[in-house]
Amino acid sequence: MSDAKKKSSNPIWGNYYSKFFKSSEESIVAILREIPMLQTLKRRELKIISKYAHERAFEPGEFVFETGQPGAAMFIIKEGEIKIVKKNASGDYIDLATLKDGEFFGELALLDNSPRSAAALVNSPTKTIAIFREDLNNLLESHPELGGKIMKQLAIITGLRLKATNNLLIEKENEIQKLKEILDERP
Amino acid sequence: MKDPERIIRSRVFYFFLFLFFAVLLGYLFIALNSLLLPVLMGTLAAYISQPIINYLRKSGIPKSVAILILLGLFGFLVFVIGQRIASVVPSEKQMLELRVQIQYKINQNFLSLLGKNNFNSKGNVLDDLVGDELIPPIESINLFLMLDNNEEAKFLSYVKNSQISNRVKYFYDENKKLPFKQSKLSDAGNTKVEQLIPSIPTLKSNSKIALFFSAISKWIIMPFVFIFVLIDEGEIKKFILNIVPNRYFEMTFTTLAKVDTAIGNYLRGTILQSSLVGLTIFIGLVLVGFKLQAAILIGIIAGISNAIPFLGPIIGLGAGVIYAMIVEGINPVIPFLPANPIVGVLIVVAAAQLLDNAVFQPLVLGKAVNLHPLVVVIGVTGGSIIAGFWGMLLAIPTIAVFKVIISNVYKQAKAYYIIY
Repeated sequence: MSDAKKKSSNPIWGNYYSKFFKSSEESIVAILREIPMLQTLKRRELKIISKYAHERAFEPGEFVFETGQPGAAMFIIKEGEIKIVKKNASGDYIDLATLKDGEFFGELALLDNSPRSAAALVNSPTKTIAIFREDLNNLLESHPELGGKIMKQLAIITGLRLKATNNLLIEKENEIQKLKEILDERP
Repeated sequence: MKDPERIIRSRVFYFFLFLFFAVLLGYLFIALNSLLLPVLMGTLAAYISQPIINYLRKSGIPKSVAILILLGLFGFLVFVIGQRIASVVPSEKQMLELRVQIQYKINQNFLSLLGKNNFNSKGNVLDDLVGDELIPPIESINLFLMLDNNEEAKFLSYVKNSQISNRVKYFYDENKKLPFKQSKLSDAGNTKVEQLIPSIPTLKSNSKIALFFSAISKWIIMPFVFIFVLIDEGEIKKFILNIVPNRYFEMTFTTLAKVDTAIGNYLRGTILQSSLVGLTIFIGLVLVGFKLQAAILIGIIAGISNAIPFLGPIIGLGAGVIYAMIVEGINPVIPFLPANPIVGVLIVVAAAQLLDNAVFQPLVLGKAVNLHPLVVVIGVTGGSIIAGFWGMLLAIPTIAVFKVIISNVYKQAKAYYIIY
C-alpha cells in the first residue's frame, strides 16, 4: 500500500494515465450501480461495462437524438435534465416525460436499430453515459453471462413499461367511456 | 442556448486545429514513408487475428496470453517459411548457373515450338505465321539473361575449378552459339543488372549484421503495432468519439462499427482466399512432382499475388513456368499426370483458378465488396505506378476499404438527418 502511494506520488514517473482512467472508471461504476437495470450486477461486472460506457456532455436546447433517427445507444443521465418530446400534428413539441439524474432513456435501441419513437431534448446542462447496442452484442460474445443478465433486465424493464402503458391505455379508455356516457346522458 | 460568437470562435479554433494536424500528418506521412508498410502490416495482422483472439478468450484463455500465443505462432511461421525460402534462394554461383539454364531452356522450348533446329533454319507453320514477330521478345529475354563480361569471367573461373557440372557447361557453350551477341547489350546490360540488384555491393561491404539491423530497425515496429492494436479495449474508438461533436456522436459510432465489420470481413476473406489458392497450387505442384521447397515457394508467390485481380494468376503461373523450364526429370506422384512440367504447372494453375472462382470466392467472399472491373484495372495499374509491387498488391484492398467507408458514412449521414 505504502509502495503504491510512493509510486503515484513520484512527480515524474507517477502513473498519470492509470489515475486518470481509474477516477473516470470509478465514477462511471458508481453511476451504473444506481441504475435499476444494472443493480443486480456485481462490481467486477460493472467495471467491465464501464469500459464500454461513453461519457457525453450536452448543452440546453440540444437534441440527444431526434424522432426517426436509427437508434444505436441507450443513454443514462449522470447529471442534468432531459425531456422526452414528440411533435404533434401542428408541429409543436409535446412533453412526454422529464428525466433526471440516474434515469435512462432510449433503451429500446439496445435491441434493434428501429427508428427512435420520440426525441430527447436537453433541458439543463446534462452529462450522460451512452451504451451502444453494438458493444452489448460484443459483450454477449465475450462475456455471455454478463450480457445475458443485462438482456434479462432489459426484457423485465420493457415488460414493466408495456404493463404501465397498457394500464394507462385502459385508464384512458375508461375516461373516454365515462365521457361518452356523460355525453349520452345529456339531453 | 448557444452563444453565436462562441460558435464562430470554436469553428475557427477547430478549423486551425484540423489544418495543423492535417499538415503534420501529411509531413509525417512523407518523412516516415518507410515505416508505413510495417505499421500497415502490423495493423492488418491484428485485424485479421481479432476473431482468433475472441475465440481463445471464449475458451477461457486471458487476452494477454492469447496475444502472446498468436505472436509466437506468427514468429514461428515467419521463421520456418523464411528458412525454407532462404534455402531455395540461390547463391551467386547458383544464380549464374540458373541464368545459363533458363536461357538455354527458353531457347530450346521456343525452337521446338516453332519446329526449328536453330534460329536460322526453317520451321513449321507457326514459324511462317508469327516466327518473325516472336524473335524480338525472345531476343530481349536472351539479352536480359545473358552473362556480361564480369559474370562470364566469374562463371569461367567456376568452370576452371570444376564447380560447374558438365551439363551446365554444355548449356553455356550452346548459349554462346546463339545469334544474340553481347555487343548488343554491352552498356545496357550492365546498367540493367546494376539496377536490378543495386544493393548487393553495399550489402557485402556492410556485412550481414548491418543488413540485419537495417531491416530490424524498420520492421521491429510491426510486432509492437500488432500487440497494441490487439490489446486496445476500445480506447482508440473512445478517443475518436470524444473529439466528435454531439450531433455526429451516434452516427460516428454506428459508422465505425459497420466499417469495422465490413473491412474485417473483406480482409479476412481475401487473405483466406489467397491462402487457399496458394495451398491448392502447393498441393497441386507436389502431386505433379515438383520438389517440396520449390512447391512451397511457388505456392507462396501465387498465393500472395492472387490478391492482385487479373494479373495475380499470371504472376503465379509465370513463377511456376520459369521453374518448370529449368527442372528436369519430373516424376508425378499420380501416374496419369503428364511428365512435362510446363503442362503440369498449367494444369495446376488452371485447376486452382477454377476452384478459386467456383468454390473459394463464393464461399469466402460471399458478402464482400463489389468493385467494377474498370475500377479494378485502373486501381491495379495506378497502384503499380505509385508504389510498385506493394502498390499493386494493396491497391484493391485500399479501394475496397475506402468504398466501404464512404458508402457507410453517406448512408449514416442520411439516416441521422445530417445530409439530404
